[in-house]
Amino acid sequence: MNTKRILQVQNISKTYGKGSSSTTALSGISFDVLEGEFLGIMGASGSGKTTLLNCIATMLKPTSGKILLDGEDISAFKGKALANYRGNKIGYLYQSFELLDNLTARENIILPLSLHGVKNADAEQALLPLAGHLDITEVLDKFPGQMSGGQKQRVAAARAFISAPSIVLADEPTGALDSKNAKTLLDKLSSLNRQEQKTIVMVTHDANAASFCSRVLFIQDGTIFHELRKSTKNEPPTMFYERIMAVIAQLGGGSANVL
Amino acid sequence: MFFKQILSNIKKNRKNNGLFFATLLIAIVAFYTLLSLESQDVMRFLKTLEGDAIQKLMLLVPMIYVVSLFFVFFLVYFAYAYQMENRRREFGLYLMCGMKRGRLFLMLMCETILNSTLSVFAGIPLALLLTESISLTTARLVGLGIIGHQFSLSSTAILGTVAGFFLVQLAAMLILSVRFCRMDPADLLKPETKAVVKPASGKQGMFSFVFGIVLLAVAYAMGVTLLNAFGILPTLLILIFGSLGTFLLYRGLGSFIEHALLARKSQKNGLYTFTGRQIQESVVHQHSSLAVSSLLLLMALACISFGIGMGFGRTGADMRVCDFSLMGSDEDVTAFVQDKENQSMIGDCYPMFIGNTYYGDSTFSLKGIVNAFETLPEDNLRDNIVENLLQNEEYNDLYLIPLKSFNALLVSMGEEELRFDGNQVAFYNRMAADSFNYKELWEKAINAGAYVEFTLPDGSIEKFEFLPNMYYNNIVADRAITLSTTLIVPDDLYEACARHVTTDAGEAAKMSGGISNSAQDSDSSTDYDSIDNVKNPFAWNIRIREDIIQNQGLLPAIMEMQTRLDRSNLSYDSYLGGIGRNLFYTVAASYLSIYLGVLFLLIANTVLVLKYLIWQKKNHGRYLTLMMLGAKKKDISISMGKQIRLYFLLVLGVAVLNSVFAIWSMFTSFVKLPAGTSMQTVVILACVTLVCFVLVEVLYICIVQHKSRKEILALHVSERPE
Repeated sequence: MNTKRILQVQNISKTYGKGSSSTTALSGISFDVLEGEFLGIMGASGSGKTTLLNCIATMLKPTSGKILLDGEDISAFKGKALANYRGNKIGYLYQSFELLDNLTARENIILPLSLHGVKNADAEQALLPLAGHLDITEVLDKFPGQMSGGQKQRVAAARAFISAPSIVLADEPTGALDSKNAKTLLDKLSSLNRQEQKTIVMVTHDANAASFCSRVLFIQDGTIFHELRKSTKNEPPTMFYERIMAVIAQLGGGSANVL
Repeated sequence: MFFKQILSNIKKNRKNNGLFFATLLIAIVAFYTLLSLESQDVMRFLKTLEGDAIQKLMLLVPMIYVVSLFFVFFLVYFAYAYQMENRRREFGLYLMCGMKRGRLFLMLMCETILNSTLSVFAGIPLALLLTESISLTTARLVGLGIIGHQFSLSSTAILGTVAGFFLVQLAAMLILSVRFCRMDPADLLKPETKAVVKPASGKQGMFSFVFGIVLLAVAYAMGVTLLNAFGILPTLLILIFGSLGTFLLYRGLGSFIEHALLARKSQKNGLYTFTGRQIQESVVHQHSSLAVSSLLLLMALACISFGIGMGFGRTGADMRVCDFSLMGSDEDVTAFVQDKENQSMIGDCYPMFIGNTYYGDSTFSLKGIVNAFETLPEDNLRDNIVENLLQNEEYNDLYLIPLKSFNALLVSMGEEELRFDGNQVAFYNRMAADSFNYKELWEKAINAGAYVEFTLPDGSIEKFEFLPNMYYNNIVADRAITLSTTLIVPDDLYEACARHVTTDAGEAAKMSGGISNSAQDSDSSTDYDSIDNVKNPFAWNIRIREDIIQNQGLLPAIMEMQTRLDRSNLSYDSYLGGIGRNLFYTVAASYLSIYLGVLFLLIANTVLVLKYLIWQKKNHGRYLTLMMLGAKKKDISISMGKQIRLYFLLVLGVAVLNSVFAIWSMFTSFVKLPAGTSMQTVVILACVTLVCFVLVEVLYICIVQHKSRKEILALHVSERPE
């Protein structure tokens, strides 16, 4: 097992508002993500999981604590370094895809490379194997308006992986998909994780989606409540799913708190 | 509480939306400027000279007012649409907080009425300031010192402005309020869903693009070649082809951009593809608005050019040759001129003789001219001239001016005298003053060796050649006579061939015995009564002393002399009439068409700006995604700057190209530049107009860029909707 720590989250806190009207979303969360890991973060609505992901993605600044990616403190990034971090070091997969609907799939996917100075012709070379892997070769010249939800999310996934980022952050990537498309996407993400050693951090409240991960962190009220690991590398998702469900049942006293 | 809410909304909107309020002020100023035309200094002065014409012009004003209402409606509609788009979330919240749709509607209408009232209070003083400045400037330019400037607050204009403004505002807001109030809160709360982007269908789009260009080319060619005749059918066809071509061109432009984009994108990086797609999308989604804006800009350019051309043309045409032409008996004229008081004012006084061969027995032959014309390329104008010449010959009808009279006129104007070398004459045609082409064609014929032959009373035939230039200065103060085919001839030839030409006044004087008696007394060498009259001038031209004009101003001096003439029995022709007519044409044609031109320019640009800003507002999500993917705000701003410039350029480019041909067609058909108009002046004038136009456009582009940049800088990736 690779033990290189890609991401180190150290005692992160995040408070919205000031004084009496302040709300604490995260209160001192710490964890590491190892290279090639597929980490799931679960929790009830308002537990702070999306806030955590947004802090890692530099969309939010934590009130205190440090986040290190490849040993570098991301809160120190500004201007060019910040743009470089967003486009090259991390990939982001949104629940609502966030594809630019006036660009074709091909143009959407190579956009991060293009933004960082790679000529479109060169970017195409990185695109083709990825498109084959995610099964979107046929829709490359279509606009998002002409694709199904599953295709859109796989195109968005290709965009997240195209610049070979250190880590891909996925925020409820199956939230807008039907179960069949959700499974296809998770299979693809999982195989990219296993075969290409891509590191993925996925926020979800879907136990089924979480069962594709190698490790799952459960968050409640801004702190880590529990952690689950696949017992063996080849533990089948169904078994892992059962264990996840058991934790969810314990979490805050029942499933009503989770969804 | 309800009223407080309305007031706070108005305050907030005014702060956030300067462009919107600027648009409302433009609407008010536009209405007032048009409606207060009658009370402008120049118009009040003109009423004293050209009352009937002014009455007719004033009948035109309501029509233009209605046209303005129609166009200003669109201006206001787009301004409100932009504001409502910005507030849609707020409306959704009101509905979700339990506000009834009816109450929301009422609130919006109350806001409109209050807004309009505030705008009227701010706009009317601004309009007054503008109209007073226009009034003062024009009065000063034409030297209307004598009537003085009067502050004019036209109550009918204010009423018309307020009524029109409220009508337009309420109509626009009614349509928009109904639309927004009918929407579900969910639709209002979420950012407006972008229309699904369809790829520009390649072949169909390219066909439309190419067909559009072909139609435009046909319209251009027809405009330049067929509009000379100004028939209804060609005009209609040009308009149809031109408009349809413009619409098709914009419809297919998306495909053209796609081709251009794909051809180059593999070698590009950064936001090149994104920028290209944004422009393509704006064209695909807004091709009709772009076509309408482009056509409006074309109308603006055409109206402004027409206005300047007409105003400029008129000023050039009626050059001041003398201030009065007196018609009366020699004694009366001499008595008036020699009066001590009058004498102190008169600088030059000379007789102007005009004669015609019709009454005499000498004949002439114009074959030498006809032959010269026939060597020139065939052309409608050439054929008309030849036909007229043949008619002149058939009826033995040719006007003559003796050289001494014409030279006296030139000397009085401070120009060089004409000199004939041997048997020479000069061609004169007053009509040439209005047509550059006519003058050019005549001079070509003269250079091609035109000549004229006279059969003198003794039976001998003499051949006369032409001086190389033709002449067209008015020979009287205003319009006592307008001569077409006329020759300036040596004095002895005039004495031999010309017979008397008179006005009614002159005729009356002759009948009373004044002129004819004295003429008969002084001439006993001929048997013909009418020949005696050659000795009598057609009129006496008077020019006021320059130092008096310098001191008093031209108009006051002329008006003083006119008062003196009114006291005498003399009938006269005054340059004041010329000024009046000039001013009338300047005001009627130039003022109104420039007014409409400026209005079209403002509307086209405002529509363009607001449409772009509304569209861009819907693109914020895209910019946030780009930022999340690592695009820098600076790069996004640069991309946006390119989008804005190209967006404007796509509209302006077609509009400018269209207007080049439109103006070309216009000036070669129904708008004639006066003869003697120097090409240099025309080019300078065209350049000044173009520079002003470019400045206006740059100003609008800067406004949009500034506003867009501000919006981009205010974006934060954390605003991304979940």
